[in-house]
Amino acid sequence: MTRLALRNLFQSKARLVISIGGVALALMLMLSLDAIFAGVEERVVAYINHTGADLFVSQSGVRNLHMASSWMPASVAEQVADRPGVDEATPLLYHSNLVSVGDERSAAYIIGLPPDPAMGGPWSIAAGRTTPGPGEAILDEGIASTTGVGLGDEIRILGRTFEIAGLSEGTATQGGSVVFISQEDFSQLRPGPPVISFVLVRVRPGADVTTVAEDIEAEIGGVTVLSRPAFASEEQKVVRDMGNDIVAIMNIIGFMVGLMVMSLTVYTATLSRRAEYGMLKAVGARNGDLYQTVLTQSLVSVLVGLGIGLGFTLALAAVAPRLDVPLTLVVRPDSVLRVAAASLVIAAVSAILPIRQIRRLDPVMVFRGR
Amino acid sequence: MSATILDVNNLTKRYGSAATEVTAVRGVSMSVAPGEIVLIMGPSGSGKTTLLSMLGALLRPSEGTIRLNGTPISSLPESRLPAIRLRQFGFIFQDFNLLSALTALENVAIVGSLNGLKNGAARSRAAALLADLGMSERLTFLPEKLSGGEKQRVAIARALMNDPAMILADEPTANLDSKIGHEIMRLLRRIAQEQGRSVVIVSHDQRIKDIADRVLWLEDGQFKEMVAMAVDPVCGMSVERERAPARLEWEGTTYYFCSRGCRSEYAEQVSAAFKGEGLYAS
Repeated sequence: MTRLALRNLFQSKARLVISIGGVALALMLMLSLDAIFAGVEERVVAYINHTGADLFVSQSGVRNLHMASSWMPASVAEQVADRPGVDEATPLLYHSNLVSVGDERSAAYIIGLPPDPAMGGPWSIAAGRTTPGPGEAILDEGIASTTGVGLGDEIRILGRTFEIAGLSEGTATQGGSVVFISQEDFSQLRPGPPVISFVLVRVRPGADVTTVAEDIEAEIGGVTVLSRPAFASEEQKVVRDMGNDIVAIMNIIGFMVGLMVMSLTVYTATLSRRAEYGMLKAVGARNGDLYQTVLTQSLVSVLVGLGIGLGFTLALAAVAPRLDVPLTLVVRPDSVLRVAAASLVIAAVSAILPIRQIRRLDPVMVFRGR
Repeated sequence: MSATILDVNNLTKRYGSAATEVTAVRGVSMSVAPGEIVLIMGPSGSGKTTLLSMLGALLRPSEGTIRLNGTPISSLPESRLPAIRLRQFGFIFQDFNLLSALTALENVAIVGSLNGLKNGAARSRAAALLADLGMSERLTFLPEKLSGGEKQRVAIARALMNDPAMILADEPTANLDSKIGHEIMRLLRRIAQEQGRSVVIVSHDQRIKDIADRVLWLEDGQFKEMVAMAVDPVCGMSVERERAPARLEWEGTTYYFCSRGCRSEYAEQVSAAFKGEGLYAS
């Protein structure tokens, strides 16, 4: 019966193209949206992962960068540096705001760096300086390219004009970029007592990261200490939570489109072969044999559609970095498994109506020319 | 083996109930011997198809019994009937009913596969059957590439695939021209004689009478005595000479029609050709 299922499937090329194409498109929608959000999650923590810090010390309760602000007395940096097990402690100032580059305004994580920072600066420089001096800013190369500015041009940050002194790489996401200025300039833009946002900590070789974190949190009041992976995970979680509804809605749409396309094509394919199924019943085929035929057709269509959808998504993921857009597609195994599971559900559900149709088919019809 | 392979006793089939009840077959009894060809004829709506469906375990009778090789198949549970149809009967249909996506060979082999034969064994048996029916050059052809006669040969091979005791044929020559129809009937005759299979044919085709061992006339759901039949020259329908609604005499020959409409049409054709000389309608 498998042979019959495959022959039936491949006999009508137009129907095959419509069903597989429709399912491939729907599953690609699900896969690529997942991949885009996975890419966003990955890129959004690029800065955190490249800081070189083992621990992030922040104002109590602050556990990430996005849509958060952390303010601590500047003295916390020295207190942290004095704790046992701490090798390096770099204070950072941080604020999330819009920056004006040329005629464009874009969201940015603005990082205030101390002179010669041990951690937290740009990790890859395409051109210019690696650390901003007074009145200077380091901007993402991609942002500079799309807005048509370069070294020596001006950029406005928090209402003040800075000169672009360096161009960093890998510091842009779909939602914005990371811009580095000096801590001195940052402090001037934020009047008030001296404060810092975060302290990046590198622990001594051999020291236990968890022990050092617990010690800092216990001995210095009003701070939260997270390991870099935990801090990155919290950051991803915020982004994921923001995108979850969109992803869920698009996944449902993709699922419904795939289900409708498959249901319609499998149903019409079965309807058009009603007389043939009736003949098979008349000559002694059991209902189970015929159900197997319909299910095989449905399953093969969906799996081929999944293969094509996955292929196109992987191709898109490979091509995206070569395009001049800050878009990264990351196709995760768990996403593929989830979409594959959805495909199986589509195959099974789309076979229900045709199976009911076959079950009700009266084999006597073959003697009545119907 | 018993003297009769199929034994039908007092078979009745009713559709609907109360005021809408229709009795399609009433109190039919018959038996078929091994190797015998039985032709069931009768006017449209006489119950032939219903009777054939019941004989083939496709339809349950309202009353009566059908015994195949002594087994009362009319009282078997529904779940056992597909296996009976698969192993005990070979079906031949008016419209051939081949699977359009499969080749001639696969159309035959699939019935063997349904019966549990391995793919290779099913294909070799199918190839041998088709070769025996003169189809060895057409094994890989799809049905759309076969003529009507070739399609019916494939259907016959399919009917023989599981070595059934009985072949049931529904109007097997209806979609074939007379020459091919004759060939198909001779083929069925050969199968019955050489292989000892019983064949029950339902047909309007008068020419089949030549190859049948026995002809039964079904009318109003009951077997009646065989009456003199004629073929309406316009629509080709079988009509009883005695009870024909219309007839026409021309040049010493009487023509019988199923209706006055057919007679008028025929008379017009003859009049146009011969200016109506010697026409006598009744």
